[in-house]
Amino acid sequence: MAQDRDRLDRFLPLKPFVLDVLLELADGKRHGWSVIRDIQQREGGDRILPANFYRTLRALREDGLIAEAAGDASKDPNERRQYFSLTPLGAKVARAEVKRLESLVLDPRARRLLKVR
Amino acid sequence: MQASQSCYRVLLRMCPPDLRAEFGAEMEALFLGDLARARGVGKVRVWARAIADLLRHGLGARNDSWNRVRHTSAYVDYETGRFLMDTWRYDLRHALRMMFRQRGTTAIILLTLALAIGANTAVFSAVHTVLIRPLPYQQPESLVMLWEKREAEGVMKNSVSAADYLDWARLATSFTAMAAFNEITADLTGEGEPEKLPVGAVSPSFFEVFGIRPLHGRTFEAGEDVMGRHRVVVLGHAVWRQRFGGDAAAVGRTITLHGIPHQVVGVLPPDVAFPQGEPQLFLPLVLQAPNEPPSRVSHNFYVFARLKPGVSMSQARSEMDRIGKDLEQQYPQLSRGHGSHVTSLPEEITGPVERTLVVLMAAVGFILLIACINVTNLLLARAAGRRREMAVRSAIGASRGRLIRQVLVECGVIALAGGAAGLVLAVWCVRVLAAQLPAVARPDQTVVFSLPVMLFTLAACVLSGLLAGALPAWHMVREDPAEPLKEGGRGAVSLKRRLRFGLIVAEVALTSLLLVGAGLTLRSFQTVLSQDAGIETTDRLTFRLGLPGARYKGSEASFRFFSELESRLAAEPLIRAVGGTMLPPLTGLDGRRGVVIENREVGPDDGPTRAHPRVVTNNYLQAAGSRVREGRGFLPSDTATALPVAIVNETMAKRYWPGASAIGGRVRFTDQEAWREVVGIIGDVKHWGLDAPVNPELYVPTSQFPTFAQTFVLHANGNPLALVPIVQRHVRELDPNLPLFQVRTMEEVAARSVERRRWTMTLLAVFAVLALVLAAAGIYGVMAHLVALRTPEIGVRLTLGARPVAVMRQVLGEGAVQAAIGLAIGLGASLVVMQGLRSILFGVEPTDPLTLIVVGVSLMVVALVAVTVPALRAMRIDPVTALRAQ
Repeated sequence: MAQDRDRLDRFLPLKPFVLDVLLELADGKRHGWSVIRDIQQREGGDRILPANFYRTLRALREDGLIAEAAGDASKDPNERRQYFSLTPLGAKVARAEVKRLESLVLDPRARRLLKVR
Repeated sequence: MQASQSCYRVLLRMCPPDLRAEFGAEMEALFLGDLARARGVGKVRVWARAIADLLRHGLGARNDSWNRVRHTSAYVDYETGRFLMDTWRYDLRHALRMMFRQRGTTAIILLTLALAIGANTAVFSAVHTVLIRPLPYQQPESLVMLWEKREAEGVMKNSVSAADYLDWARLATSFTAMAAFNEITADLTGEGEPEKLPVGAVSPSFFEVFGIRPLHGRTFEAGEDVMGRHRVVVLGHAVWRQRFGGDAAAVGRTITLHGIPHQVVGVLPPDVAFPQGEPQLFLPLVLQAPNEPPSRVSHNFYVFARLKPGVSMSQARSEMDRIGKDLEQQYPQLSRGHGSHVTSLPEEITGPVERTLVVLMAAVGFILLIACINVTNLLLARAAGRRREMAVRSAIGASRGRLIRQVLVECGVIALAGGAAGLVLAVWCVRVLAAQLPAVARPDQTVVFSLPVMLFTLAACVLSGLLAGALPAWHMVREDPAEPLKEGGRGAVSLKRRLRFGLIVAEVALTSLLLVGAGLTLRSFQTVLSQDAGIETTDRLTFRLGLPGARYKGSEASFRFFSELESRLAAEPLIRAVGGTMLPPLTGLDGRRGVVIENREVGPDDGPTRAHPRVVTNNYLQAAGSRVREGRGFLPSDTATALPVAIVNETMAKRYWPGASAIGGRVRFTDQEAWREVVGIIGDVKHWGLDAPVNPELYVPTSQFPTFAQTFVLHANGNPLALVPIVQRHVRELDPNLPLFQVRTMEEVAARSVERRRWTMTLLAVFAVLALVLAAAGIYGVMAHLVALRTPEIGVRLTLGARPVAVMRQVLGEGAVQAAIGLAIGLGASLVVMQGLRSILFGVEPTDPLTLIVVGVSLMVVALVAVTVPALRAMRIDPVTALRAQ
C-alpha cells in the first residue's frame, strides 16, 4: 500500500492537459481522435495539437496509466483507430489528482475567491 | 489539398518512426481537418502552429524513450547522461538568447559571415563544377589528346593532319582506341525547316574512345570512313527528338544533309557532351579516298585516344616520340621537325580556367579570413562586456572548459546562422555566376548546387566559427577570473589592445593583397582593351555563310555566289563597305600552311616556314578597317587570270624578309606551284584575341583562291544591327535555302574574345570592394571599441587640461600606424604572392608600381576615414560625464 502511494505521488501534480486526457477516458474506452477533438472543443480551440497529444498518449501508455483496448471491429471492420482505456493505476492517479484539486478548491481561502465572484 | 498533405507528411518525419507509424495517419487527418476549417490568414496560422507543434513535440518525442516525459508539472531529477545533454542544450539556448539580446551586433556578424560564406560557396561551386567533378566519360583519367608538336617553333599543340593521324593510329600500341575529330556544319533539309547544324566528323572509333554507347542502333563501324560507305549518320539526342519525335524507328531511315540522303544508323543517349563544340550529329570522317592520298600539310583535326590499362602517360609519350622520329625519317620533306605531343584530356579541358578559379578561390578565402577577423573583433568587444558574467560563473563553480565550450558553441551557432544566410546569398550568386561563366571547355558545364558544395559550406561555417571563436576563448583562459570582479579593474586591457591592433594589421594586410590582385587584373584588362586590334570594331556587322557542296559544285559557283551577294550588298545605301574573309579575326578560327619564300635560305636549324592564310575578297581590308602600311590592298584587277598576288602582315614581313622590303618578293604555298607576288603589307591584326600574340599572316584574294564558306564584314552607316533584315532579304533572294549564322557585330566578337578576362576582373573587383568594406568596418569597430574602453582615461586627461585635438590626434595616429604597418606587410607580401597571378596578367608586371601606389593610398584613405569617426568621438568626450560614469 505504501509502495502504491509512492507511485501515485510520483505522478502528482499532473499537467492540466494530462488530467484532461485521463478524465476523457474515465467514461470508458475511447479512441485518440475523439479524445483530442473533445478536449479541443472544451478548451475552446486548438490549443492541443496532434504531435503533443499523441506523444503524451504514448508516454501515458508506457507509464502504465492507460492501455490499449480492443476496438469494435464488428461495427466497422476497416476501423484501424486504436482505442484506449484507463488502467487501474491511471484511474487512481486521476482520482488522486482530482482529490488534490478538490482539496485546493475546498480550501476556505479558495471559497472566499468564489464568493467574491 | 494534395500539396498540403504531402508537405505535412514530410514534416511528420520529425516524429520518431514508431510514433509516426502508430498515429501518423490520425495526426495528418486532424491537421487536414483544421486546415479545411481555417479561412484566409487562418490557414497560415494553422500551418505555423502545426510546424511549431511538430518541432517541439515531434522532435521532442525522439528523446522520450530514454528521457521519460514527466506528466508532473515540475521535475528535478537529473541523471548523469541527461545532465551532459542538458548542458549542451543550455549552451545552445544561452547562445540563442545572447544573439537575440544583442540584435545589432548579431545582425552585423551575420551579414559579414553571410557575405563571406556566400562568396566562398558560390566560387567553390564553380570550382567544383569545373575542376573537381569528374568528366562525364568512363575513366576520364585515361583519356588523352594527341597534338602535332614542332618544338623548334615553340608550337606544342597544333591540330593534326590526316596522314599523321592515320600513321599514328596504325603504329601506336599504347592506346585502346584513337579517333580524329573535326567540327563542321551541315545543312539539314527535308522534313521541317532547313537548319544549319554543327556536326562532328569523326573516325569510327570516336565513340569507343569516349566509352559512349548508342541509345538506339549502333555507332560507326570500321570501314565507314572510306569514300563510298560514308553516307551514314549518328543522331544526337536533341535532333532525334526534334526531327523524329523520339521514335526508335528512326534508325534505318534517311535524312538529307547538304542535299544528299544519309542513312541513320544510331541515336546517342541524352546528356552526352564532347570536348569540342556541341555537335548535333555525327558523320564519318573520310580521310581515305581512292585516288587521293591523305594530306600531310593540311592540319585540321583534333585527335583523342584512350590509354591502354597499365600504360602510363610517359610511356605513351615516349612511344609517340619514337613514332614521330620514324615518320620524320620517312617523310623528311613534309614531316621535318614534327612530333607528337600527348596531353591528358581532363587537364586539357580544365587547364585554361584552372588558374583563374584558383585565384578566385584564394580571393574568397581571404575574404573569409577578413570576415573572421571582424567577427573575432566583435566577439572580443562583446566578451569585454561579459567579463563579469563569466567571472561570476567561474566563481560559482563553472570550469574553464565549460566556459570555453560555451563561447565556442556561441560562435558555432552564429557561424551556422551566417552560413545559412550565406547559402541563400550563394544560391543567387551561383545563378549570376552560371550565367556569366564564360564558355570554358568543360562540356557538361552547369554550375549547380550539389552535396559536396553543401558540405563545403558547412565546413566553411565550422571553420569560421572556430577561427572567430578561438581568440575570445583563448583570451578568457588567460585571464584571471578574479580580475574583472575587482572594482574598476582594467588589467587585461593592455593585452587586449595589442591583440586587437594585431587584428587590424592582419586585416589591412589581407585587404591590400586582394586590392593589389584586383588592381593588377583591372590594369591587365585595360591594357588588353587598349590593344590595337588592327581592324575597326565600331559599326561593323559580321555573319557567316557556308555553301553546300551539293548545290554549288566547283569553286566557280561559290565564287560567283559570294561576288553577287557582295555587289548587291555594296549597292545598299546603309552599307559603306562589304568584304568577306574565310577566317574572321578575333575568333580563334584559323588555319596554317607551309609556305616557301623565294630566295630565302632555310638553315638546317630553322623550323619550317609557315604562314596563316587569310582568303579575303577584294574589299575586305577596307570593310574591316585594316590598315595598309606599305604597297596596296587588293584591287578588282586581281582576278583569277591575273598575276597571283598576296599581302602579308607586318609580322610576316619582318620575319621572312628581315632587313628588306617584302613588297615585290614572291611566296607560294608548299603544296601549290604558283608563286604569288607580295603587293602590300598591312598592320598586324589581333586574330587570336586582343591578348594573344600575332603570327605571320598571308592574305590572298578569293578570286585566286575560292572558298565555300565566308564571313562577311559590313561597314554600316550607323547601327550595324539595322543591316540584318537587309542581308537576310538579299541572301533569300539569291538562295532561299541558305541559313545565315553567327550574326554578330564586330564589337560583340571583340567582347567575346576577352570574356574570361572580363569575368575574372569583375569578380576580383567585387571581392576587393567587399574586402575593403569589411576591413573599413573592422577598423572602425576596433577603434570605436577602444575609444569606448578608454573613455574614463580620456575624461581624466581632458580634465587635467589635455587639448581635445591632441586626444583626437592620438587616436587617429594609433589607427594610422596600425593601418600603415598592415599595408607595409600586405604590399610586401604582394610582391611575392602576385607572382602567382602572372599567367593571368597581360602587359602588367606583378610588381606594377602604379597599382601598388594606388592601392596603398586608397586603402590608407579608407582606413583613416574609418578611424576618424571614433577619433572625433574621443575628442568630444565630455569629461564630466566620463568621470561620473566611473
